[in-house]
Amino acid sequence: MADRRQLRPVVVGIGLTALVVLAALSVPQAAARPAHEIPVEPATGDFSGPTADGWSDVPQSTVPLSSAPSSVPNANDTTIERVHVQAARGEEQLYLRLQWHDATRDTTTDGPRTFADSVAVQFPVNESARPPIAMGGPTNRVNVWYWSGGTGSEELLAGGAGSTTRMANSTITTNATYQGSGENATWTVQYTRDLDVAGENRTTIPEDEDIDVAFAVWNGSNDERAGQKAVSEWHYFPFSGGPQGPPYAALLWTIAGVAIVSVIAVTAYGIRRTGEGMS
Amino acid sequence: MSTDQNGTDAQEDTHINVADGIDHQVAMVMDLNKCIGCQTCTIACKTLWTEDGGSEYMYWNNVETKPGEGYPRGWEESGGGWQSEEHKERKTGEIPDQEDYGRAWEFNHSEIMYEGSDEPLRPRDGAEWGPNWDEDRGAGEYPNSYYFYLPRICNHCTHPSCVEACPRSALYKREEDGIVLVDQDRCRGYRYCVEGCPYKKVYYNTVSKKSEKCIFCYPRLEGEGPDGETYAPACAEECPPQLRLVGFADDEEGPIYKLIEEYEVALPLHPEFHTQPNVYYIPPYAPPQHTDDGETVDVDRIPRDYLRKLFGDRVDEALDTIERERQIVRQGGESELMEILQDKNPADQYRLEVFEDG
Ligand code: SF4
Ligand code: SF4
Repeated sequence: MADRRQLRPVVVGIGLTALVVLAALSVPQAAARPAHEIPVEPATGDFSGPTADGWSDVPQSTVPLSSAPSSVPNANDTTIERVHVQAARGEEQLYLRLQWHDATRDTTTDGPRTFADSVAVQFPVNESARPPIAMGGPTNRVNVWYWSGGTGSEELLAGGAGSTTRMANSTITTNATYQGSGENATWTVQYTRDLDVAGENRTTIPEDEDIDVAFAVWNGSNDERAGQKAVSEWHYFPFSGGPQGPPYAALLWTIAGVAIVSVIAVTAYGIRRTGEGMS
Repeated sequence: MSTDQNGTDAQEDTHINVADGIDHQVAMVMDLNKCIGCQTCTIACKTLWTEDGGSEYMYWNNVETKPGEGYPRGWEESGGGWQSEEHKERKTGEIPDQEDYGRAWEFNHSEIMYEGSDEPLRPRDGAEWGPNWDEDRGAGEYPNSYYFYLPRICNHCTHPSCVEACPRSALYKREEDGIVLVDQDRCRGYRYCVEGCPYKKVYYNTVSKKSEKCIFCYPRLEGEGPDGETYAPACAEECPPQLRLVGFADDEEGPIYKLIEEYEVALPLHPEFHTQPNVYYIPPYAPPQHTDDGETVDVDRIPRDYLRKLFGDRVDEALDTIERERQIVRQGGESELMEILQDKNPADQYRLEVFEDG
């Protein structure tokens, strides 16, 4: 009896270790990448729209959002907390799919008080330097791909808050669907753009360098517009082919596992010694 | 139109506070004692500037009955403006609901005109509120009920909170005359100006998705018309009783300056919003109350408290001054103030070219 009781913690410890290792191996790829990286899959298959089949093979990154620092009234009152991002790269085009939950579908701006749900993707115009996150800066501009449920898509250029300018002849196309109801209702917006487009202030999607990317979402029914928006930090698409995939996370999980096992082992040892003393 | 050569020299020591970076400030004085509520000004403005799609509900010039809820309904309580005279912190405001502006009604014109219906001409349905819906209702009990008309345009404020509210600097105050305009290329329809203006005199165009407002008819002031002549804003020129004076607040020889600065009888509406309007009003002067037998009693017909609420505490002195000057004329004396208020010479009413060569 006494022996079995002394053995129990050790057995539990081994079991936990096994679980930890299993967990490490089964961590999905998307969650295992370095922080702020959004993987880009080769676009094979159908990417003709937001619900096209091709998307099911593309890992999804969940990007946390928070209220943008801004001087507009109610800047801190935003409602969208995360956006799910997928990216696929074809021979000539980049496809992005953004999804987020929003219980109300706001697609009109045709009343004095109505605002439309909107989303935007921001890239540095010049990939070599990271612009200020809030709409770039005067010498460090951003190219924004904007979609609004009320007015469709626009390509914008900005060099600091309040400087947003609409670019003529937008090079992006967008396509959106809204599905489900209540809390699970979801907007799905697909962006398609040629990797390389003519025009000075348009971001070229690079072949062999990472590119920074950031996101913003507005909830129309909460009167969100302008600087009252939920925004991400800078993330990046890993086009340089650098570290990708699970090794980091697996390694971290293994270290954590070893640490847990050691703690359990030490605890078990301690319990056994206490037990011996008592008997 | 008269040109006063002294105008530019005189404005050196003007008491009028013209905004920083602004050469001169356009201004309008409206004598509320003359308004007959005919809405000619409203229609003149509407047909000139806001006939296009998306602006159906917009009245850059409106005339409301006071006491009354106004247009948009409840605008006086809708927030906006500044916390204090320091113009540091703005007050939060609200964007009025479509229902509070009133919807553009559909009328049964086609039935009557083309289908031979003998129904009366009337809105089809949904006519539950609209600009000046509470027309002539006023307040008070018979025989002492009262009301007056209040024509309103954008005040082209010296400290416009609409300008300050826009995160894109799409609104601005013109350097040459202080007219406040919306740059249609910069505006992205965010409507912070709509909530920021305490007078609710910026509107959102539902078709162009941009904000629009009274432009003080600047093309008319600039002689952009077919004959190259300068004209005062259409609301002023078209007004049958000619109750509006138009000119520059800093033109010390002009009647506007005299009414605002010397006699202090022209007052801004709701000075407590601290935007410092450049549209001023001669407050309404009503006969005292009557008893049921028709006897005059020494009680104000329009309660002073109500007028103070609209025009601030200076309304008491303004009404006293008007009363004193009236008395002088009644007794056969002369009063420059009364002459200004009764002037029918357009050259005096509209002094638009005084600073042209300055
Ligand atoms: S009245 Fe309103 S819209 Fe006009 S200048 Fe003043 S704050 Fe701006
Ligand atoms: S046109 Fe003149 S009298 Fe008629 S409502 Fe307008 S301001 Fe009053």
